Formats: sequence, structure tokens, C-alpha cells
Amino acid sequence: MRNDIFRRLLQLIPILLGITFLSFAMMHLAGSDAIAQQADASGVALSPEVMAARRAELGLDQPFLVQYVRWLGGFLTGDLGISYVSGKDVFATFVSKLPATLLLTGVSIALTVLLSIPLGILAAVRQNRFADYLIRFFSFAGNSMPNFFVALLLLYAFAVCIPIFPVISDGLSLRSVALPALTLAIAMSSKYLRQVRAAVLDELSRDYVTGARARGIRFSVTLYKSVLRSCMTTILTLLSLSIGSLLGGTAIVESIFLWDGVGKLAVDAIQMRDYPMIQAYVVWMAVIYVAVNLVTDLSYRLLDPRIRLGGERP
Amino acid sequence: MSTQSGVTVRPSRARRNHTRARLCVFAALAAALLLASVFAEALCPYDPNAQNLAEALQAPSAAHPFGTDRYGRDMLSRVLIGAQTSISSALVLVAIIAIVGTLLGVSCGLSGGALDTVVMRLSDVCLAFPGLVFAMAIAAVLDGGIQNAVLALALVSWPKYARLARSQTLAIQHTDYLLAARLSGCSPPALLLRHILPNIAGPVLVTAVLDIGTMMMELAALSFLGLGALPPAAEWGSMMSDGRSMLQTYPWVVLTPGLAIFLSVALFHLLGDAVRDWLDPRSGQSGRRGRTHGQGENI
Amino acid sequence: MKKTRTMLLLFGLLAFALTGCGAGETSDSSSTSSDGKQLVWGDTTFNAENGEPDVNPHNDNSGWACIRYGIGETLFRFSDSMELEPWLAQSYEAVDELTWRIVLRDGVCFSSGRNLDGEAVKQCLEALVAQHARAAGDLRIAEISADGQTVTIRTEEPVPALLHYLSDPYGCIIDMEAGVTEDGIVSGTGPYRAVSLTTDTSLELVKNETYWNGTPKLDAITVRTISDGDTLTMALQAGEIDVAYGMPYASYPLFENENYRFASCTTSRAFFASMNFESEILRDPAVRKAIAMGIDKESFVETLLDGNGSAAAGVYPDSFAFGGDSVTTETYDPQGAMALLEEAGWVDMDGDGIREKDGATLTLRWLTYPSRQELPLLAESAQATLGEIGFDVQINSTADHNRLRADSGAWDIYASAMVTAPTGDPEYFFTYRCLDSSGSNDGHYHSDALETLAQELSRTFDTDRRAALAVEMQQILLDDNAYVFCSHLRMSMIAKSSVSGLTAHPCDYYEITAELDIAA
Repeated sequence: MRNDIFRRLLQLIPILLGITFLSFAMMHLAGSDAIAQQADASGVALSPEVMAARRAELGLDQPFLVQYVRWLGGFLTGDLGISYVSGKDVFATFVSKLPATLLLTGVSIALTVLLSIPLGILAAVRQNRFADYLIRFFSFAGNSMPNFFVALLLLYAFAVCIPIFPVISDGLSLRSVALPALTLAIAMSSKYLRQVRAAVLDELSRDYVTGARARGIRFSVTLYKSVLRSCMTTILTLLSLSIGSLLGGTAIVESIFLWDGVGKLAVDAIQMRDYPMIQAYVVWMAVIYVAVNLVTDLSYRLLDPRIRLGGERP
Repeated sequence: MSTQSGVTVRPSRARRNHTRARLCVFAALAAALLLASVFAEALCPYDPNAQNLAEALQAPSAAHPFGTDRYGRDMLSRVLIGAQTSISSALVLVAIIAIVGTLLGVSCGLSGGALDTVVMRLSDVCLAFPGLVFAMAIAAVLDGGIQNAVLALALVSWPKYARLARSQTLAIQHTDYLLAARLSGCSPPALLLRHILPNIAGPVLVTAVLDIGTMMMELAALSFLGLGALPPAAEWGSMMSDGRSMLQTYPWVVLTPGLAIFLSVALFHLLGDAVRDWLDPRSGQSGRRGRTHGQGENI
Repeated sequence: MKKTRTMLLLFGLLAFALTGCGAGETSDSSSTSSDGKQLVWGDTTFNAENGEPDVNPHNDNSGWACIRYGIGETLFRFSDSMELEPWLAQSYEAVDELTWRIVLRDGVCFSSGRNLDGEAVKQCLEALVAQHARAAGDLRIAEISADGQTVTIRTEEPVPALLHYLSDPYGCIIDMEAGVTEDGIVSGTGPYRAVSLTTDTSLELVKNETYWNGTPKLDAITVRTISDGDTLTMALQAGEIDVAYGMPYASYPLFENENYRFASCTTSRAFFASMNFESEILRDPAVRKAIAMGIDKESFVETLLDGNGSAAAGVYPDSFAFGGDSVTTETYDPQGAMALLEEAGWVDMDGDGIREKDGATLTLRWLTYPSRQELPLLAESAQATLGEIGFDVQINSTADHNRLRADSGAWDIYASAMVTAPTGDPEYFFTYRCLDSSGSNDGHYHSDALETLAQELSRTFDTDRRAALAVEMQQILLDDNAYVFCSHLRMSMIAKSSVSGLTAHPCDYYEITAELDIAA
């Protein structure tokens, strides 16, 4: 098992090299650079000499490969560099955004589980009854509303009309995280509850359920002891994907709720061509990707001892 | 399937007929939607692109049942004509990624080895890579336009299907009936077509149907890069995000395309469910869902 | 079974309850009574993306934040008609073409406690040109000397607009001995003093007790960065902010009632289209003129911007001596434009509604970008009105426009927004946009007459002559139809009706002043 984990961590190396190089190459392919973007955002034009001087200062006048190797050298020695836009240390800036992202991820995953599992089970148990139709209706609605729309509706309802939550977040508090987390949870739950419903229906038709029922075991006991447990793999798979993308940040939701996470940082960095910041984000994405996969596989093994860790991969 | 119905192991004949009826209804509705989008031009009460600033931002009325937007264009006509772009681009996108992803995934699952390694590493990179960087590069290399938005999204979204198909293939590869088919001299293409694809079609279809609505949003989200429907063409997702600030003041500008998305997403979901139930020998269930630990089994 | 259902419902409700519980835990954050009069200011533009990560005027565009939020002040300021008047300076004298002697006001002190004298100004300006490339390029300072309340600045070459440049936000005078904190907080002479700052989040200000020009009426101000326009709208609706800057136009109707007040003013931020002279069809003067006649500026401003702007003639708005109606240009005249094209040989032969001539079609690739809400509206409006006279306008509205506009093969018309006179002086726009030497002359426009006049402008010190030159130069641009100036932004700040002393200014620099107040 320890070997397996080690092997997984080794996998991180090619992924890291691959995607940092790819992102560097693509940003160069995308043209423009931090200096031009900044001059433009401010609406105040800079003279060509000033722009050239600032490019030279940041090393942006160097060939692309030189820039990448220089970045890689810094990265290997633990230096992620200085932001082209703010002039601050990239690592420190990035780390300062993580608590917000972690909190939002945690709360929205919790809300998603709390919404989708019970509603999914309810829909399955009441298949083709009113409750099932109602739940599926909300699932369609949640699935067809863009995030910004849900966010604005929630803000309007629960911050303007009935002011129980603040419009402007007051830092990392439960009160402030509620609406952004609910926004994300609504979108995710409306997908998950359908999967949960399908998984439960699948289980319910199996012989052991029928058998248990025939033996007079209370249905609710079967449901919680066996069915739910069997559905856990489906749910875990879904959660692992969501956690990965949530940890990558959700720019639109973050900017509507003034939630200071990594998503908006990344989008701003990409738009401003702030290469060191983009690279830090890309590294973070690769690390969480590998880590989430590892943790998911470990928990599969806990749930089902028959599964060999990493068995799916060569 | 409630407890009160007693112990029913096999679905009744009535149930199967019900499934077929449902399939017919939803298929007919979906066909109607597609037809409506094809003949949208004839159905539009006004020219969807004709600006009339004197009639800007009018609330829904008899003359303009969906109201008008800020250029004074008739919203009903724009929503109708928007069906062409929105539905066709989302469907094309989902079809591409589902077909390409599934074929890649099945090949990986069957052959293993170098192909498997390469495709899976590629999918790692795609899944872990920020999509916006990718879209930006695409926008730079190609021009704007919805077809390039479809391409950009297709290039980053296929891995989900590849992984789903791969894990499903691995799950059924060692089942007795597949071994039997192999032993009886079934050729690989026939094996793929006759035995593997039908068995994994259910989960792929469910995922694909779930993706239609998501992809409409994603397509709209790329429009700020100029990747998206080019003005004055109407497209539901962009209509919603363009009208975003008007939610409180002129809500019909946002809500009418929103309603259109909702109805079509719901319809495709219901159709997907019906197709799955119909395909599945054990009606009403989700089919052979692989309980392997496949990445990206569903989203 | 019944129990199961109840449990499931309870489980589901728990999810909502969790969020509900959260509400009770942290108490209301808007309790402000404890330390006097407070005001919360919401702003969409105070962020690192705009080059305003902090309030240090020597850092990028942070000077805007420094001067807007009443922390720093400049030696001279702009009047309502954008003419210079002394501020921290008392008087000045142009000794010769290269030397300026500025006498400072007495009795001004920094919030750090230090007195404002010649030495302090010298230190500040030296630090400015050492750190701020644009300032160094504008000011061309060779040497500064200080003597008591007098500062003497010598430039490397004649800089007629020196005093204008010194009134740019980067010219805020700060105490270099007190320095710049790690967060980018500086000590200025304004009515408020910055006490804490978090980039892209918030800035806390308190009253400067020793302010030289009246007593600030508020005890503390919080400036909140709210980059999303809809969130800003709802924050004002919910009463969490008192003043909003950067509200989307679509939200204005929500505040057009007695509970709110608007402070509005036309600024020199212009929305204009640049013609690409490398483009085959735009080399034809008739085509350029037809485009200028085919854009309905009035409807754009009145309907699409809902009156939040003014139709433009030339580079500068009405509030400038050399702006507004001092120049003449084409007016919206679709019939005239069609006749003109007809005459020039552009005729729709194949009946598809688009004119052709010698195998070329009147297809215009219109490049613009979505981050300014007005630009996509202008594009779609022009697409329709130009379409009626026989153009096929293809819009490319992309956040990636900077790369494209540098490539003159990729577009025909580039519509953009720019502050045309940030320092009240006309030279800037021409220097940066229209000359052979300009960095952003993307359409490669060239005019011999313009080059000659620009030479003269760069050596002219007399303000009236500069204004006359500016008018002449604008007229050249307009006669060539090299640019079409569509509108000037009407900037609005929206405040609760309890807020008073809020005035919008044409240069958009002075926002928080000693006059700003809020009724309890």
C-alpha cells in the first residue's frame, strides 16, 4: 500500500511537467502579455519605450523556452516568483486565498451530500409518484440554471428581500459562506440526486433486497444498512470529481459573493497574462488532481476490500 | 417500486408498455422541438435581428408576448431563432465528446498497454488543466464563432467519457457472457458492436443527456473571449448572461431564454431516461452500472 | 415506511437548517454607532486588475485610489472646466522653457505630522520618477531643488504640460520619510488617512484631524472593492453600502427615487472607433465618411445608454475649452451615406443588401471588447445602422483584443474606450494614438498636417494657443474620418439620500472630500 501511494506521487512529476509546460506554451500562443493587458485595463496608454523597459524588467523579452526554463528553475528551488501585476510574492498570495476556497469547498460538499442523498433516495423510493416528479423537476431546474443566475436569485431573495445573509461577505464566517455554498450545492445536487436515485433503484431491484424483504426485515433497515452502503461508490466518484473542481475555484460565484478564493485569482491572472500566478495555479490543480484521486481510491478500498488500489491504472 | 406493491421481481407487461409510451411521447416532443428550431424562421413573428430602439425594453404584451430587448428586438422571435444555435451546438458538442470519448475509452479498456497509458495520461492533463487557458489559446489560433467554441470545449471535455467508457469496459470484460462470445470466435469489431457498446450505452447516454444543459452554459461562458455566437445571432446562454444586470429591472430579457433552456434541458433529460429504460432489459433501473472505481464515471 | 419518509424529509431540511443556523451566529456587521459617523463606499474599479492594488501613487495606477479616496492631494487641481488651479501649491512661475518655480501653501501637514515643505515635495517627486516609468516619461525631470516653501523643477527638454502632468493622480504628494508600508499605505495631506488595506478587498480610512482645508465631516470610511456590478446593486439596495461607484446602467431605474441621489458628470472617457488604414476598403475616403454618417450616436446614447453619456463630436467633451462643439463632424444621415457610397461606385449588384465595388464587398470586421459595458452595445447598434446602408458588419467582441489590434490584418474598425485627457491637457491623446511615433496608432493613420501641428504643440507653452492647436488637430482627424468619436461617458455615483457633499467631477479624480457627509 505504501508503494502504491509512492507510485501515485511519482505520477505527479510527469503531470506537473506536462501541464506547466503546456500552460506556458498556450499563454504564449494566446498572445499579448501582462504589460499590454495592464496598460489597457487602466485605459491609460503607455509609450513604447516604457512598455519595452517594463518587459525587459520582467524578462518578457526573452524567448519562450528561456522563460519556461527560468520559471522551472525557480519552481524546483521552491521559488514561484513575483506576480507581474501586483509585484507580490506568488506563493504567499496564492496561499492567502486557500482558506476561503477550502471553506467554500467543504461547506458546499456538505450541503450537496445533505441535499442530494436524502432527496435522491426519496425520489427512488417514491418512484413515479408526486415526490419523485417534484424532485426531478427541481433537478431539471437546477441543471438548467447558470451559476450566476442562481447566485443572483439567492442574493436577491435572502439578502435584499429577506435580509438574513449579508450581500458583502464579512470574511470567513458561516453567515457569509451560506449563500455561495448553497449556489454551488444546488447545481451539484441537481445532478447528484439523479445519480443517487438511479443507484438506489438499481440496488432496490437486487435479489438481496427482495430476500431481506421476504425475511421480514424492515425496509428502512435494508435501505440504510445495505442499499446506502452500496451506493457509496457512486457518490464517492461524483464527490471526488466535484471536490477537484471546487478546489480549483469558482470565479463567477466568488466574484458575485466577494469570496476571496483561488478561482477569481486564476481568472484574473489568465486575463492579465500574469504567468507566474498562472503557473502557481496550474501546479495547484495538478496537485489536487493527484491527491483527490489518491484519496478517492483509498476510500474505495475501505468501502470494498476487494478493490486493489490503483488497479484501474497500469 | 414501493413496498406496498408486494414482491415483484419482473416488471409487468403494463410497465413495459408504459415505458414505450413514454419514449414515444418524449421522442415526439423532442422531434417537435428540433423541427421548431429548424423552421424557426417561419415561426418568428418579427425579424429577430431588426432593431427598433423606439420599442426598447418593452414588457411582455400582446404585440410582443416575451417583451423586447434593449435594442427593441422581439424576444419571442429571438428565443425561437436562438433554438437553432443553442440546441444544435450543444447537441453537436455532446455528440462529439460522447462518441469520441467512448470509442477511445473502449479501445483503452480492451487493448490496454501503450495506447491506454498515453490516452489516460492525456486525459489526466486535460482534467487537471485550467480550461480557460485552453480556450484563450484556441481563440488566439482560430477566430471567434460558435463552432470554435464547440471545438475548444470538445478538446477539454472528452476525458470524462473516455474514463467512463473505459471503466465500464473493464467491468464487463471478464464477465462470463463476454468470455463466451470471445471463445465462440466473435471478431473484435463484432464484439465491440454487439456486446460491449450496447452494455455501456446506458451510463454514457445518461451522462450525455445530463451534459446538454451544462454545455449550453459553458458555450455561453466562452462568449467573452469572442468564442460564441457572433452578434446579432441569438443564442440562449449568451442572451441570459448579457441580460444579467436586468434581472430586477427588465426580468423578461433574462427569464425567457432561461425558460427555453429549462424546457429543452428537461425534455432531453426525460427523453434520456425513457431511452435508457427502454434499452435496459430490467426496466426502470439504471442498467449495468459498473461498480468499479472508475474516474469520471458520471458527472 | 411513513417513518422513513419523515426521516428523509428531516434529513433534507437539516441541510437548509444548517445554513439558517449560520445566520444567528455572527451578529450584524453593520453596527456602526460605536465610533462616530461612518460611511461605506462600494467601488467596482479599486482592484489590482486596474493597476490599483493599493494607495501608493508611485505604484502603477494606485494614485487614482490615493486621490479619489481623499488620502493624497496634488500640487495643482482641475476646476470644473478642467482648468488648472493651485491646490497644495500657492503659485508658480515659469522661469524659462526648462525651469518651473512652484511656491507651496503654508500650514499644510501630512497625516504623519510632518509639515509640507519644498524638501518633502522634492523627495516625493524624486521617488516618483525613480519608480513610475510613465511619470518619468511625462515629466522629463532633470533636477529638483528645494528651498523653504519653494520647489524648483528643471526639465531635460521643454515640457509645456508639466503642471498638468503633476496634477495626474501619480502626482499626489506623500511623505517619503513616513514611507510606504508593506500593504501600500502612504501618508498624504488629504482629509482622510488610510489605516488598513487589503488588495482587492477593502480600505479603511479615518478622519485626518489636522487637515488644512476644513474639517472632514466623517469619522471613518470603509472602501469596499465589489467587482461585480450586480452585487454592488444589491449591496446598495440592502443598505450595506452608502455610496456606489460603477453601477451597471440597467440598475439605475432601481435607484431613481427619493431614497437615493445621483452625482453625475460627463468625463473625458471617450468611446470611439479607429479606422484601419491598412484595410483596402477603408482607404476609400467615401467609405470612411459613410461610416461616420451611418452611426446613430444620439440613439446610442439616449436609448442604449439610457442617457448616461453625451454624443461626441471630437476627442474631448463639452466641459473642455477645446472640446464639444468647437469642432464639426458628420451627423447621422443614412440617406446621405447611401448616396455617397452610390456615387463612389459602391453598389449592391447581387441584391444581398451588401454593396460591392470591383469585386470587393463592404464587409467591416469590427473589433471591440466586452469589459466596458458600452462597447458591445455600440457594436450591435452600429451593426444595425450600418447594415441599413449596405455594410456587412462582423463583430468580434473579445477580451483578447490587445493581441488582435496590433495585427492590422485582423480588423477594419477597432472600437475602444479611453480617457482622452487624463491631465486636462490635449497633447496626450495625439501622442498616444494618432502620430507616426505613437505606440497605439493601431490603424496606421498618417497625416502630414497633423504631424506638423503636433510638433508645434509639443513646444507651445501658451494655454490659449495649445487649445487652438488642439481644435485644429481634432478637425484634421475628423475631416479625414480617421476616427469616429461616438460618445463620452457620463459617470454617476449613486448614494443613499442621507449622503451629502458628494460631487462628480469631469476628471473623475476627486470623490471623497472634506465635504462628504452622511446624516445620522
